[in-house]
Amino acid sequence: MVVRQYNEELKYLEKINPYCWRIKKGFQPNMNVEGVFYVNSTLEKLMLEELRNCCRPGMSGGFLPGVKQIANVAALPGIVGRSVGLPDVHSGYGFAIGNMAAFDMDDPKSIVSPGGVGFDINCGVRLLRTNLHEKDVLPIKEQLAQSLFDHIPVGVGSKGIIPMNARDLEEALEMGMDWSLREGYVWAEDKEHCEEYGRMLNADPSKVSLRAKKRGLPQLGTLGAGNHYAEIQVVDEIFDKYAAGKMGIESIGQVCVMIHSGSRGFGHQVATDALVQMEKAMKRDNIETNDRQLACARIKSVEGQDYLKAMSAAANFAWVNRSSMTFLTRQAFAKQFKMAPDDLDMHVIYDVSHNIAKVEEHVVDGKLKTLLVHRKGSTRAFPPNHPLIPVDYQLTGQPVLIGGTMGTCSYVLTGTHQGMTETFGSTCHGAGRALSRAKSRRNIDYKEVLNKLETMGISIRVASPKLVMEEAPESYKNVTDVVDTCHAAGISKKTVKLRPIAVIKG
Amino acid sequence: MDEELGGISEEYYDIPPVKYEYLDHTADVQLHAWGDSLKEAFEQCGMAMFGYMTELEYVQIKDVHTIEASSDDLMGLLYHFLDELLFLFSYEPFLICKKLVITEFNTQEFKIVCKCYGEEFVIGKHPQGTEVKAITYSAMQIIDDPKDNKYEVFVIIDI
Repeated sequence: MVVRQYNEELKYLEKINPYCWRIKKGFQPNMNVEGVFYVNSTLEKLMLEELRNCCRPGMSGGFLPGVKQIANVAALPGIVGRSVGLPDVHSGYGFAIGNMAAFDMDDPKSIVSPGGVGFDINCGVRLLRTNLHEKDVLPIKEQLAQSLFDHIPVGVGSKGIIPMNARDLEEALEMGMDWSLREGYVWAEDKEHCEEYGRMLNADPSKVSLRAKKRGLPQLGTLGAGNHYAEIQVVDEIFDKYAAGKMGIESIGQVCVMIHSGSRGFGHQVATDALVQMEKAMKRDNIETNDRQLACARIKSVEGQDYLKAMSAAANFAWVNRSSMTFLTRQAFAKQFKMAPDDLDMHVIYDVSHNIAKVEEHVVDGKLKTLLVHRKGSTRAFPPNHPLIPVDYQLTGQPVLIGGTMGTCSYVLTGTHQGMTETFGSTCHGAGRALSRAKSRRNIDYKEVLNKLETMGISIRVASPKLVMEEAPESYKNVTDVVDTCHAAGISKKTVKLRPIAVIKG
Repeated sequence: MDEELGGISEEYYDIPPVKYEYLDHTADVQLHAWGDSLKEAFEQCGMAMFGYMTELEYVQIKDVHTIEASSDDLMGLLYHFLDELLFLFSYEPFLICKKLVITEFNTQEFKIVCKCYGEEFVIGKHPQGTEVKAITYSAMQIIDDPKDNKYEVFVIIDI
């Protein structure tokens, strides 16, 4: 890493408009393209603070600030356009979290990097609507929260309750949501409202280690821990009536359910296995990166192809996982309201992935190119009329689901044409951490958090008490700042704001 | 596996002192462990990881399993050692460990054999802590300094 004074570092950064900064070449060595990041004045302070801390004398061996990581990604072989930091960007493993980068599939030197996807492959958010109103739910809110908590296995060490054997798992890995549909866990329409229709076709379970399958099998249909959650939310504000209507959101107070989870131990192991393989491939192919953690392999190499096939299997795992929890959620609601999920209109509004790499076509310098787009802590946000988004959203743009944190709001955005040209159709994914977990636990009081949630009218069921402090809203960047920046910068558009009334967490 | 426990003496139920702590990292957590030898620092680091998943005072020693890890270098060895422990928890026997005893610690050929004492993780009996997704090489440090009698390891785990 280049070591410079903070003031020297700042010379490489240029504010090009109130919401966007440019990272010039030279900020880190060997940058092939420039970097860019989107922040408003509040987020800007956090971002620069992180950089300033790392420039202090005596800081070595620690972790790299997000802005440096964005620049290191810009130095990877085959990158096109710019390395993009979204407003919720923070330091991650290799790539920053909230970082997207696209690589030219026709360039033989282009790479794929598991660090650009993250350990939790196809971690994502799904939103279900209902025809219930807040006033229908409030009298039985506690029972409903408890029922949801009883239905969905959560937290460390929990095991799935959907019956599964090794053969079922193989099929699920290959078929994704088609498996869930065949087994009767989801509705046919659910698939329609899911990125890739809930199935990556190039998934190949034979490229996945036995260890990953063993870790995955007991965990299928579990929520997980950390920042994952299932929330009962109500519509708090509608910014775009037309787009909201297309999503079946008609009025303030309408009840929705948001599920945030990923590919569990399965995806984590796929990523771990790939990192080991790629270290070897990097030595063989003489791939130089600025950071050892940016392990990668050429897309066309055996390691690159194997990873993409295994990653796709993990993506399918995640969709089956979210689908299984969709099933359990519908059951929990049906039991409480003594009505069929159909009659409660519990349709999937949309399902987004925010940790994934996908082959997409984009226009670069006026030419149509096939790219491998890495989105780590970043959500696809395709504009209206894009062929890859469902018929229902052709006129509005793809719904983008931004999960808040425990007790804060969540948002539904839509993709824009400007986002398509500036950020390869990508936007933020959530709030992004501001405080470390250890700091949260030291500084935030457990009771205080619970009391605060109670005054806000939020029921909470959480498996791990420690998590309450770690995941307290104070530990995160303000999701409204993040979303407002995306809206103001034009890379996505605000449609609906949701407010939680019950949270189920690991 | 219980017969393995049958033949061992009371001292195997002794719980080692805590020689680890959890350090700050924005999104994840950094394990810092130390000991009177590098071997002990490794053992402590493993226990630190389990200590993040539950509260170890609720764990009883009812079962023992043996794991092996090997690698090409020392950091790789620490990484694979922790990865094996994580797997022991993630799949059968779903073991949560209270105590680790490394019986073979070869820093020439980079090989570890470790006895893992604990029991199957049961929700309700064991408080649920935080789930560990993966071990990382990020900012990993191994201090092996016999001169100053300093043995420490630092590992960031992805959670």
